[in-house]
Amino acid sequence: MEPQRNTNATLVDLLDRVLDKGLVIHADVIVSVAGIPLIGVNLRAALAGMETMLKYGIMQAWDERTRAWETENRSKNKNAVAQGEEIILRMLGACHSTEGIYTAWRYGYLYLTDKRLFLYHEDFGEVLFEAPLEKIRGLVVREREQISDEKVREELYLLIEGEKVCRLTALNVHQLKEALEKRMEEAGLALRENWEAPLVEEISAEFLADVEQVICTGKMWYLMDKEEITDDTWRPGQLYLTDKRVCWYCDPARKVGIEIPVSGIKVSVMETRARSNVMAKEKVMDVLYASNGARKVATFSGPLLDEWNQIVNKIITGQSESEGEGETETCPQCGMAALIKDLLKEGCTSCGWVSPSKSKGIHEVKLPA
Amino acid sequence: MNLEPMNLEIMNGRYLYCIIEGSEIASFGKIGIQGNEVYTVPYQDLSAVVHNCPAKPYQSENDKILRRWVVVHQKVVDTIWKRYGVVIPIGFDTIISGHAGMGPEENIMNWLKEEYDNLKAKMEKIRDSAEYGVQVFWDSRVMAHKITGESVEIKKLNQEIKSKPRGIAYMYRQKLKDLIKKDMENHADRYFKEFYEKIIPHADDIRVEKTRKTEDEDKQMLLNLSCLLPKGASKKLGEELEKIEALEGFSVRYTGPWPPYSFV
Repeated sequence: MEPQRNTNATLVDLLDRVLDKGLVIHADVIVSVAGIPLIGVNLRAALAGMETMLKYGIMQAWDERTRAWETENRSKNKNAVAQGEEIILRMLGACHSTEGIYTAWRYGYLYLTDKRLFLYHEDFGEVLFEAPLEKIRGLVVREREQISDEKVREELYLLIEGEKVCRLTALNVHQLKEALEKRMEEAGLALRENWEAPLVEEISAEFLADVEQVICTGKMWYLMDKEEITDDTWRPGQLYLTDKRVCWYCDPARKVGIEIPVSGIKVSVMETRARSNVMAKEKVMDVLYASNGARKVATFSGPLLDEWNQIVNKIITGQSESEGEGETETCPQCGMAALIKDLLKEGCTSCGWVSPSKSKGIHEVKLPA
Repeated sequence: MNLEPMNLEIMNGRYLYCIIEGSEIASFGKIGIQGNEVYTVPYQDLSAVVHNCPAKPYQSENDKILRRWVVVHQKVVDTIWKRYGVVIPIGFDTIISGHAGMGPEENIMNWLKEEYDNLKAKMEKIRDSAEYGVQVFWDSRVMAHKITGESVEIKKLNQEIKSKPRGIAYMYRQKLKDLIKKDMENHADRYFKEFYEKIIPHADDIRVEKTRKTEDEDKQMLLNLSCLLPKGASKKLGEELEKIEALEGFSVRYTGPWPPYSFV
């Protein structure tokens, strides 16, 4: 490979050097240009590009690039609204989802068109909820008190053909309701009068802190500690996985039976064992965690156990990655091992190497003697 | 535009191009910016190469004009370099003025005197050497695909996503994004180090430069180095760079030889 120097392409390399490098003269008699941009803005911009900053200076660009690439690999609804469909209203909203064990509010944009009401997640091109207008049988607005603060959240309950009840919320629920009713009236669609949406039983969720986000919940049996009762006994209840802890609520006792902070969980494993002396072998999930310095096990059994196990383990992996305190790396110059964060922050204590993102671009790299 | 130095007050500045080894007053003709005459101002066996100008920086709103000036600057340095074999290049728009009874020439000579040892040392370091630029790029799409194909975990995750209900699939996709990102970063780190290690044995000195964004979104700069190579080393480095270029997904830009701007 031959080095190039007199082409159009190398002009930038040249300009780079002549403008930013060269011997720096510290003398009183240098004509001072402090604050005066010597170089035209466009030229400077063209040379600078947009310098990326992370680590070796590539990750930001990479980040944008990969996100775009990953997006392309998903099948994507380029346009949520069909041809000929007219948008009446669009606002931020959420629907309460109960797919599998994934129970939470899913956010997106609520679109009310002349034909349907749907909730669309723009980034992922996903339709989170959809109801053609003619399938809506009833609607009512309910107020829902938040536990910790005085704010009242309004929810729109919809009765969809058959007996399906959907819960929605939006930036302005009343506006949504009125627009929806108006459109349905225009379209000649009748709503069931005075439909009372069934009360959703969520007494057990009271113990959750308001800022906690429930990731998933579902029925689950828990093996109670020997210490509390004479025999190993399985109790039915509801298991919750939030962003902070794994929590099991005992239905009969109406209280939280066990809670495990997510940060304390080591691993979750599946096993097939006899659940009791009389019953045949079944799948159980053992969650190993640390509490007060001791290693403990919480055992669960119930529906969708495989999915629970996977999700718990994913949370754990996510936890340890974000810490990464102990990760070491070798200095690119002398090969001495050091903690990554030290290398990036302070540089190499052995040879003086400094990461390019730390120094201002030009620095002295001392070669080993 | 030719400004003859008729009035010393107007031309109270000396535009600096470079420092050379030499003790004579020499003129190189009207090769300077705006057609000014370029000549030397010696102090003992070191000389500054200058042209006369008003004691204020060259400025223009017009990028073309600026670019032209910069190119002329480099041409001057280049010409001198060819003739004298070693130069300490000075950056664009460095001007020494006179003041308080001292003319600019006097100031230059005083400065050369003060910096004499430093300048001599620099000359030794860069003698018979030249600066070369080395940039390595990767195609991020190629790399990402490669990583996805190689990683057992990522492949498995991809498969699982297809069979999951929407809610869980969403979470899995988040995980997938993170895995790919982390993997790419790790690869980038490894490659940076690997290439750096391959290049450094050929150079007397290296500067790690900031990476730049490219015009092509997929093409990312991984490595940007300025290397001080002794005479004859550029060929060997070229062979090394060819090997890198041959790797799938990588490309190399090799520029130079330049006067050693980055090493003074």
